[in-house]
Amino acid sequence: MNNLLWTRRQFLQGCSAAIAAMAGARLSNLAFANLDSPMAENSDILISVFLRGGWDALNVIPPIAGTDRGYYESARANLKIPTSGTNSTLALDDRFGFHPALAPLHELYKAKRLAVVHAAGLTADTRSHFDAMQFMELGTPGAKSSTTGWITRHLNSIGVGNALIPALSAGSSQPVALAGLINNTTMSSASSFKLGGHWKYIEQQQAALRQMYGSGNSWLHAAGLNTLNAVDTIEQASAGNYTPANGATYPNGSFGDQLKTIAQMIKMNLGLRAATVDLGGWDSHENQGDGGTGYLSNLLTNLSQGLAAFYTDLDGAGGANYASRLSVVVMSEFGRRLKENANRGTDHGHGSAMLVLGGGINGGQVYGNWPGLANEQLYDRADLAITTDYRQVLGELVVRRLGNKNLGAVFAGINYAPLGIAQGTDTGVTLATPAPSAATATPMSGMTPTATPMSGMTPTATPMPGMTPTATPMPNATPSPAPSEFTNQAFLPFALNQVRR
Amino acid sequence: MNVEIIALNRMAFGLRQGELDAFRALGNTDDARLNAYIEQQLQPNNILDTECDNKLTQAGFTTLGKPLTQLWAEHYADNKKEYSFRIAPIAETRKATILRAVYSKRQLQEVLADFWHNHFNVFGWEGYAQHVWAHYDRDCIRAYIFGNFRQMLEAIATSPAMLYYLDNYRNSRGGPNENWARELIELHTLGAENYLGVKPQNEVPGYSSGAPVGYVDGDVYEATRCFTGWRVNDSTYEKDVTNTGTFLYYDAWHDRFQKIVMGRNLPPDQSQLKDGRDVLDILAAHPGTGRFVCRKLCRRLIGDNPPDRVVNEAAATFTAQKDAPDQLRQVYRVILKSPEFKQTWGDKIKRPFDFAMSMLRAINTDITFQDDGFFWNYDALGQSMFARRPPDGYPDVKEAWTNTTSILQRWRLTTTVLGGSIKGFSTKIVEQTPTNVTTPNQLTDFWIDRILGRAMDNANDRAEVVRLIAQGKGNDVALTSAQITERAPRAVELILMSPDFQLK
Repeated sequence: MNNLLWTRRQFLQGCSAAIAAMAGARLSNLAFANLDSPMAENSDILISVFLRGGWDALNVIPPIAGTDRGYYESARANLKIPTSGTNSTLALDDRFGFHPALAPLHELYKAKRLAVVHAAGLTADTRSHFDAMQFMELGTPGAKSSTTGWITRHLNSIGVGNALIPALSAGSSQPVALAGLINNTTMSSASSFKLGGHWKYIEQQQAALRQMYGSGNSWLHAAGLNTLNAVDTIEQASAGNYTPANGATYPNGSFGDQLKTIAQMIKMNLGLRAATVDLGGWDSHENQGDGGTGYLSNLLTNLSQGLAAFYTDLDGAGGANYASRLSVVVMSEFGRRLKENANRGTDHGHGSAMLVLGGGINGGQVYGNWPGLANEQLYDRADLAITTDYRQVLGELVVRRLGNKNLGAVFAGINYAPLGIAQGTDTGVTLATPAPSAATATPMSGMTPTATPMSGMTPTATPMPGMTPTATPMPNATPSPAPSEFTNQAFLPFALNQVRR
Repeated sequence: MNVEIIALNRMAFGLRQGELDAFRALGNTDDARLNAYIEQQLQPNNILDTECDNKLTQAGFTTLGKPLTQLWAEHYADNKKEYSFRIAPIAETRKATILRAVYSKRQLQEVLADFWHNHFNVFGWEGYAQHVWAHYDRDCIRAYIFGNFRQMLEAIATSPAMLYYLDNYRNSRGGPNENWARELIELHTLGAENYLGVKPQNEVPGYSSGAPVGYVDGDVYEATRCFTGWRVNDSTYEKDVTNTGTFLYYDAWHDRFQKIVMGRNLPPDQSQLKDGRDVLDILAAHPGTGRFVCRKLCRRLIGDNPPDRVVNEAAATFTAQKDAPDQLRQVYRVILKSPEFKQTWGDKIKRPFDFAMSMLRAINTDITFQDDGFFWNYDALGQSMFARRPPDGYPDVKEAWTNTTSILQRWRLTTTVLGGSIKGFSTKIVEQTPTNVTTPNQLTDFWIDRILGRAMDNANDRAEVVRLIAQGKGNDVALTSAQITERAPRAVELILMSPDFQLK
């Protein structure tokens, strides 16, 4: 049974029978036909990086000049990032600079691959981590009733075709953005993604599990079958140890490992369309560091080195130039209070900032209307206001980079107003929300049932007019001591690995 | 589903040898047996627990009985000691928690200890918590499981573990830190379902009559002020502060002026502690708290989407009995004796801890903890013990535990445990199998009955187990003892990996 050519449908539906026929024989030499062309135009791979805990956008991208610099410095006597000297800001334009730990990303900014959207975020009125993350990831500010995440709706609306692994959550949990997507793969590393046990019986057990989980229609059967399919696919596609290209060096720790896994999966050409990765620890109520060093700086170093390594790894000439098809977006559930608290930290805020990275991105600019930091310009007299609904940024990527003109299916009720961050066309955009149909989604069951709708939202935005590097890795904290091949770095499910205290 | 299967999977960490028979002997009808079991489990102190007690004694723990001040002095203040000694209070509690979950007859108590640790989640492996965890587990969580919620709330609010974790130990009038106040309201009492966002307090319906239906950010800020000065005796150099680890109300840090919390005016210059206690009173008595806490309890004890009827009935008891010393016991009784409890099955997947404990119970693993090998493997399932960083506790819905990693890792844990590679975890499958059980059919049925206490939902699943044991030979042909030794554990692994074993 060499060189079986299967479509995904056959794979999903026919596997159990075939395996039974093979009496548990190994699925070797299995190849898959009809993969989407991985190089199809206008079909970027979305990489969504969610910073759990609410990152301090005002110290990540502080104002470097003008009256707002004055407001910033007086509100942040201890935490402010200096504009000159050691550990000073890296200028983005004449108004804003990057935290010095973002040096690797600053290079990508100067190369016009990275764009910044300031004062962007979730417009719903909440300072709750958990509400805010849920709203953002469902893509429905103020409402929790959706059973599908925004990425799920995007994938359902374009159809994932024959892709074997259409979506990947790097890590140990499936984020809400992918809620309701049955055939998502959640994986920390490809090399350990297999069953263990007695060598003589593993394959038979695996075949038996395929029979068991393949012979029912419940959410549990679907989850088990999806797991088995993912195990088989990875086993077939994985070519042993992975060596990043172009000398890319990922930072130590789970974030770097997870980005590396995504890069590996992209190169396997399994039809990956979307991947998510979480980085936690941003809830810096105390001792977040100051003067461009310390806790926040370490987090940013990890973020920055990881993304830069990822981009480098996938950047290459000709057919290997995956970076030209990457759309990486970085977001967090909210920013933090303008005024520092007494514990050299910051409390929950509102307006945030987003980063967008990729070959088709009009980088090297800071986008968004800057609302200002004078007291009356703040949200609730305390936080950076929001002038760009985060969905506008995501929406522009969906339309211009991800090959999906059916924006209404992803973000119902959105008033599309692209900022010009992404290259591509808006021709054919439709904002109509399709009637729910069985074909578009397969929810596993409701999310948390209780919902308290909150006030609405206000989109708006427009582009704003439009610099240098170093850093070190930060290992991820693991609670239980002692390593082993089974230990996993950050297995703390449901998103926010470490919304630290 | 049979009531005994429901009860032992949701009021307990699954079946263990002999417990099904004990349940069946409790009465003549399903209802009589279930009621008797519920009443028995609601009074854990009346249950003789010799096996578990012996296991705990044999383990030789040294920190679990130490009072807070001793834990603080020996494991925190004396920072010359080795790291492993300094964190022994949490390392030992973690092991004791497993021994109790596996061996204790007070199963409901253990299920609920897990519930309340998640409800009042603290990341235990840092700060003050790791050194005083035995106190947090014993005096703040376990002491109140069957008691009064308001009292539990105050024990939590004054514990060094929580004061540190949510930053209130530094909350002062000169430097307010709202982390504790926000999570107290959002996660411990009213819940996000009663959060009305960022708007003036007086715009909340019911505000004018002193009974607002929910809370806004203004209530969080005012509550923050009420808790200023609630800190820990954690200093060797401040005046009026000792280094004993006990709770300290520090008047010099307290905001003395009037506050408005949930429509209630708290006058200036109240007596010590009264502002904070008033907040706890207001929150514990609010009907929204009853609904939120009871919905979570029903989600744990019944299913992911518990019907409103039982939630409301439990919440009514929660609120009406808010001052009763056994308020929570009364609430559990309402939930467990509800028709919804005995009529619901399979709307829930076992969480990783639940899965692992039920496996160890089902196959009667003998645990002596030679090292931390179990945890190195178990942690891959995604629910490391006392290690949830965010304050919301591990999720309790299937969506969180049905992703590919979570499913794959639970399958892997079965083969790791049965493979015998974890030191101090000994599982004798052959010795537990009667000598007259020798054919594939017999072995399959014996172990399915032991592990599940019932037939598998799908007869074909059973056939797969038989097939694995038979290896192409007859299903009724007796195996050699060598064959049984090799294959029976593989069959047990498969049953533990099957759909039936994941549900509750």
